[in-house]
Amino acid sequence: MAEMKLLLEHSNDPEYATLKGYLAKGGYTGLGKALKMERQAVIDSVKASGLRGRGGAGFPAWIKWNGIEKEITKPHYMICNADEGEPGTFKDKELMENTPFLVIEGMTIGGYATQSKVGYIYIRGEFVDACRAMRKAIDEAYANGYLGKNILGSGVDFDLYIHTGAGSYECGEESALMSSLMGERGMPRLKFPHAPLPTVAGLWDCPTIINNVETYSCVPFILDRGGEWYATLGASTKNSRGTKIFSVSGHVNKPGNYEVEFGTTLMELLDLAGGMKGGMLKACVPGGSSVPIINAADCERAIIGYEEMAEVKSMVGSGGCMFLNEHTCIVSFIWRTAQFYANESCGKCTPCREGTKWMFQILDRIVRGKGQPGDAELLVDITKQIDGRSFCGLGDAAAWPVAGAIRVFPEEFEYFIKNGRSMVDSAESRAMAPKWAQPAYS
Amino acid sequence: MAVDEGHRTVSVTINGIEIEVPQGELIVESVKRLGLEIPVFCYHPRMKPVGMCRMCLVEIGFKQPDGSVRMMPKPQAGCTLPASEGMVVLTDSESVHRDRKGVLEFLLVNHPLDCPVCDRGGECPLQNNTLAYGPSTSRFIDLKRHLPKAYPLSQYVMLDLERCIQCGRCVRFTEEISGEHELAFRFRGASMQPSTFQLLDFESKFSGNVIEICPVGALTSAQYRFRARPWDLQTTPAVCTACSNGCNVWFDHRAGRFVRINGRINEGVNEEWTCDKGKFGHDYYNSTDRLRTPLVRKGDQFVEATWAEAYEEIVKGLESAGKDVAGLCGTRIANEGLFLFNRLFKQVLGSRSVDHRWTRTLGTSRVQTPIAGIEGKKGVLVFGSNPAEDLPIVFLRLRKAATRNGTQVTVVTPDVTEADAFATVASRIGQGDVLKVAQEIVDGQSELARKVADCLKEDGAIVTSDRVRNLPGGGEALRLLEDLAARCGAEFNCYPTGPNAMGAELLGVLPGDGGLDTWGILQGCCSGTIKALWLLDCDPTTVEGGDQALESAEFLVYQGVTRSEATAFANVVLPMAAPAEQDGTWTNCERRLQRMTQAIAAPGDSKPAWRIFSEVILRLQPSTPFFNPREIMKAIADADPRFLPGASDLPEEGAILSATTQAAMAGDGA
Repeated sequence: MAEMKLLLEHSNDPEYATLKGYLAKGGYTGLGKALKMERQAVIDSVKASGLRGRGGAGFPAWIKWNGIEKEITKPHYMICNADEGEPGTFKDKELMENTPFLVIEGMTIGGYATQSKVGYIYIRGEFVDACRAMRKAIDEAYANGYLGKNILGSGVDFDLYIHTGAGSYECGEESALMSSLMGERGMPRLKFPHAPLPTVAGLWDCPTIINNVETYSCVPFILDRGGEWYATLGASTKNSRGTKIFSVSGHVNKPGNYEVEFGTTLMELLDLAGGMKGGMLKACVPGGSSVPIINAADCERAIIGYEEMAEVKSMVGSGGCMFLNEHTCIVSFIWRTAQFYANESCGKCTPCREGTKWMFQILDRIVRGKGQPGDAELLVDITKQIDGRSFCGLGDAAAWPVAGAIRVFPEEFEYFIKNGRSMVDSAESRAMAPKWAQPAYS
Repeated sequence: MAVDEGHRTVSVTINGIEIEVPQGELIVESVKRLGLEIPVFCYHPRMKPVGMCRMCLVEIGFKQPDGSVRMMPKPQAGCTLPASEGMVVLTDSESVHRDRKGVLEFLLVNHPLDCPVCDRGGECPLQNNTLAYGPSTSRFIDLKRHLPKAYPLSQYVMLDLERCIQCGRCVRFTEEISGEHELAFRFRGASMQPSTFQLLDFESKFSGNVIEICPVGALTSAQYRFRARPWDLQTTPAVCTACSNGCNVWFDHRAGRFVRINGRINEGVNEEWTCDKGKFGHDYYNSTDRLRTPLVRKGDQFVEATWAEAYEEIVKGLESAGKDVAGLCGTRIANEGLFLFNRLFKQVLGSRSVDHRWTRTLGTSRVQTPIAGIEGKKGVLVFGSNPAEDLPIVFLRLRKAATRNGTQVTVVTPDVTEADAFATVASRIGQGDVLKVAQEIVDGQSELARKVADCLKEDGAIVTSDRVRNLPGGGEALRLLEDLAARCGAEFNCYPTGPNAMGAELLGVLPGDGGLDTWGILQGCCSGTIKALWLLDCDPTTVEGGDQALESAEFLVYQGVTRSEATAFANVVLPMAAPAEQDGTWTNCERRLQRMTQAIAAPGDSKPAWRIFSEVILRLQPSTPFFNPREIMKAIADADPRFLPGASDLPEEGAILSATTQAAMAGDGA
């Protein structure tokens, strides 16, 4: 299977980011069809497509949509999670910059299906270009009757607002995002069964649907060509349907966003990205920095799919696929990852707040050449004390890469701790290591 | 913790024991029914659960229809999980213990462990939980976090950021209970710290509570800091005598000296909170101004005297004044003292001039709603006075009513009040307009009057305090509102603000027929109609014309806890025991009679007020003296059936006295 361009088909065409260009390429036929359908039929269509959340968790989108009370009078909201902060992932940025109308159309369809009149796009604050592109597209949609009151004369109202984040990875967590959107501190909230689901009490305690940019972008195609057609994509996998955009980076010749059908192998994705650069494949982080790393042997047998990826003890995640060549020092790589999570922990719960910092302190010590016997075991223990014990998924996300790396490359950690320097002494690993740590490599 | 009738219950299995609990009850509370405990840090029963500290992680499962149990893959926070049918809870499994160890190890990673010099040491939940559930060693060898220690957040509260475990109790207290929103978290991750905005002063009327709810020594009291180890303290249940709310407190003392006040639970009064005036405002106990021995004036100076000499002087002075004697008192005196003070003047000396009131216009209070009753009101009108200032605990109830029960609150006051934040209507009036506005409200024509009428239309109450009488036209305004309340079926409450002002009123420490009131007595001193004046723990120099009156009085007795401006004018000065230095009963603003037992000895020769009066009466009129406050309470109850509950053992939470004698005779509590 090769590249399967659905969402990204016209992403290189600047015209596609204008309403005229979008309409010329068949845009808004999905919404047109949806508006002629019963609301429930729209949801059923999404159900038939087997669309699962593209933000990382892979939760079936239709269940969220169906969870909104049918005869609802309370205000309720659609939220688009565009706080793309996962290191290695940059697909939503491209979607918003190059195909903004897909997002708008997808959200409008969702708004029609669930009778919600207001949508918010929560965009990561650093994404200035994406934000400008969305703003432009939304303005154009309003001007031409694709947003606002009485969309396309159907009597359906839908307003769309942009809100930019202030620089917190945690705000990509859906409940923290809602808190942030409400002007509160970006901290996660209680979840089911501790509190009602967002579809019952989310933003401002009103029913809320929150999906990823990519998820919404899939919806116009599902409505246009039918859920059954969409479900034929990725049919070779257990339960993953459609296409998935992977943001391929690392030691590859052509880094970038590549859209593939579920069921494609990881090696095919690597080929799409022009193959390895500077050396043999050593490891891959397939779904963004929070998913466990896999070694070359597992890369060979990894198939892209939510369940399939679990077989190699990793995840599809948000699709931030980083390929690392043989000259990469895994310890330094994990050092950098751990630093990110220690910085981004919101501080709400003890395991994540204290655990992420402690893990970074230990890794920092190891990278400085001051590792102590037992450090690797201690790190594993700490990840066990965080994983599943933290308040939200960020704790798990911080623990998995460390636990995964030690599981897959124990010898590299052992070597670094014992000898005070990396097993892989190379220009690449030096470049990745912090400046002050250079002596440790000599 | 009995299961409420009418509530749906669910069956939950905790550690293999099946029990019925109300649906939705938090698991952390449910386990208490079995005498079990889930350790917590961030959870506080009076605040919304947040599940931050993860100390309460337990294993949760659900009974399946086929009888098997499906356990949830991850441990769950017991403090946020509501009980539901068929829930299975394990609080004692190996994995639960491992999780607790893990959380404690994390918490101690950055905790400075400076327990030897920490005020909290010995009464610290972090110490206790670590002892019970924690690891005995730490695997942490890296650098601990270093942050400012002993940062003064306010004159009362010190912040030690190194000790903080980021549980958010203090932050939530200012958000949920006091409503001042003074504290918030800043920064994130391991650097997250509670702070005021830009570390400005923690301006709050309730800041002392955060010290008590802090599970570590991060927030400490500037007053109590380094003054004692908790295990060296003795504690006595007491009633706060800072204002009329009568909060239940723990009076902590060491080696016979007062050390600190902590909140004590009384669901009817203060729940468990204290205000800053009550927590930090008892410096008179250890004041250098304390009177220790009786003093008698000899020419220009005071000479230390024995009690016998002082009494002799007093008897001489009073006898030469004949019936032209008067008594003025403050309100920080127990019922027993006030009763004998009243008896001394009205029965023994034959004067009718006694008073305890100090407001510009004088009146009597009227209280229909008990403090806890405010929670159930549909609408409350706050008129004239700022409840957070005058009646702090009434204010907390009012806030609870408004924020949790949706009580409609209308505020009509001259000054900005804390209640404005949750009031549906907050109206500012001029200091001199109180009467005009009250009239307007009663007339019912204006916009404000309509809003007030709407607020009081069903199950309403008016909350005001005797401070309103200090405003021009205040007394008349209160009378108008009282009539209005009676007409629209609302309850009227003009709460007194003096600590035992309600007691003084019920005991009739008021001018008798033809007697002079406070202002009349002071004038009488100037004009010579009052020859001898007895000041019982009050200082008329603070009011207009007071100095002149004291100067003019021929014979002046000053009886008090500490020296004051008035002491200088006295012929005889008598040292009196402070509230916690004697047994006695106190009546709070809702007529709740509460007993206080002696915690520490009175310094020097000071004696409780009741004993002083008992001894003076004995010298003036041969009679059987009272030997202890209980006998006096019996005498009070004999004279006034409203005080009957005080004659026997009072319940721990006190007893609310009837408003009228008739009601007391009929056994009606209201």
